Amino acid sequence: MGRGALFLVMVGVAVVMLYPFWVMIVDSLKSENQFLSGHGFSWASWRTLTSTIPIAQEVGSSTIICAVSILLILLVGLPAGFAFAKLKFRASGVIFLAIVSAMMVPLQAILMPEFVNITRLGLTGGYTGAVLVYAALGTPFSVFLFATYFRGVPDELIEAGIVDGLGYFGALWRLVVPVAIPAIATVTVLQFIQIWDDLLVGLLFIQNTSERPITVGLAVLAAGRTTSIPALMAGSLVSALPAMIVYLIFQRYLVKGLTMGIDR
Amino acid sequence: MTVSTVGARAPRLTLRRRRQLAGALFALPAVALVIGLIAVPIGQAIYYSFTQWNGLTSTWIGPSTWTQAFHNPNLWTALENNAWLLLAVPFALGLPLLIAMLLHQRVIGWKIFRSIYFLPTAISWVVLGLVAERFFAFQGTLNSLIHFFGLSHVNTNMLGYESTALSALGITFVFTMIGTNTMLFLTGLATLDTSLEEAARIDGAGRWRIFRHITLPHLSRFIQLAFVMTVIALFSALFSLIFVMTGGGPGYATTTMEFLIYQTGFAQGDFGTAALYGLILFVLTAIVGIVQLRLIGSDE
Repeated sequence: MGRGALFLVMVGVAVVMLYPFWVMIVDSLKSENQFLSGHGFSWASWRTLTSTIPIAQEVGSSTIICAVSILLILLVGLPAGFAFAKLKFRASGVIFLAIVSAMMVPLQAILMPEFVNITRLGLTGGYTGAVLVYAALGTPFSVFLFATYFRGVPDELIEAGIVDGLGYFGALWRLVVPVAIPAIATVTVLQFIQIWDDLLVGLLFIQNTSERPITVGLAVLAAGRTTSIPALMAGSLVSALPAMIVYLIFQRYLVKGLTMGIDR
Repeated sequence: MTVSTVGARAPRLTLRRRRQLAGALFALPAVALVIGLIAVPIGQAIYYSFTQWNGLTSTWIGPSTWTQAFHNPNLWTALENNAWLLLAVPFALGLPLLIAMLLHQRVIGWKIFRSIYFLPTAISWVVLGLVAERFFAFQGTLNSLIHFFGLSHVNTNMLGYESTALSALGITFVFTMIGTNTMLFLTGLATLDTSLEEAARIDGAGRWRIFRHITLPHLSRFIQLAFVMTVIALFSALFSLIFVMTGGGPGYATTTMEFLIYQTGFAQGDFGTAALYGLILFVLTAIVGIVQLRLIGSDE
């Protein structure tokens, strides 16, 4: 295949991969009538977007849920990863393996008990229940990633800090966290996209419709099949933007996280 | 004398113990979270799978719940749908492999193409499902394409029929996996030593032989990882697509295991049977998970 032909094929693939964005943009630029007839463009669905979909509130909910969940995952995962890599204790190897195995448990497999537990604890009003579930689902991977990362940090660095009287907590905070910034970025980006884009947890573990995240709002409207498609597409575009921006800026951390454990 | 020996030895012992204690304390929150929200529910699911349970009260029934479940045709339909969807896996791996090889040729603008190809990865499967619905709709892009190629009397409505809805779902799934898998394979290709390929080319090896005997073996670990991730996604990440595209229908045509769990629990209120189905899904993914653990394990 010549270079020119190769370039054309790549353009063809690009067209296919950009198709969702094209659909969202074109369909959102129509009124409902224009959409049904297939002719004409207007800003109608964008102008009425805030009244069709409570978009500001839903984006706000998504932001809060993402931020708190990721913070929790980091707060729990960082010290644990450090412990499993550098402060081995009795049975830490087995416990580490058990936590990593939990990565493979899909939420659907434990959905019913999880739902009943969270509901009984009264955590489905507000974001607490959803945040806890996201944190629990994200923790195994982050522990694995941090432990793998910290194994590459020389023991001497930590020994020196502890001998210098920093203590274990001080060593973690002053010495380990600063060198772990790339790993922290990887976990943050992966979890942000995961949580922002998720449907199941938000759908079941957040009871009040006024606290719904954007992905759940869109899915419920779509499943109801009464909302106009142009409005849905406009909402989809808004929901897709934050994750796309994060993705484009932090692409390399994403790749690093995905291939963690086999790529070195 | 004795006091000073004890004094000299004790701190060293406590230092080691303190380190272990610190380790255990640091690990505790993560362990608690995983036990409380993942391990305990697995145990509960096992218990509840033997009961009749509506979420509030449960009555012990015993193993007959399992025999009853296996006589339910819906379970078999869901398992069958999952099995059929496995046919999408070769495409979800093959197409990305091809795309990664194209990108690896590094023609002008390949970095821009790379960003474009990966971009859908950032979008929610809810949104991609909405777009896919537009694609397959009666007045959607698929029919426009068919008409464009001259078959103006042909009109498809793949999501509307039991015979074709699952295929439409599978095609959408392949699309959603392209970004992630291409990313994996491209990373793999970047670690390939190009001098090996050069040497083989000089020795007169054809493209296919180079691919078959150098590139493919080198990528094997990346392909294994992509395979495991793809199969796990197939079993546990289709919920969003199904929820917006078909709601599991028409009939039960696109109800997979994970969607059956949701339907049984939340539409029918049969929490016990849903918990049981969850365990079946758990076993299915555990089998794939063991393969993955082996992959990680063999690295260390």
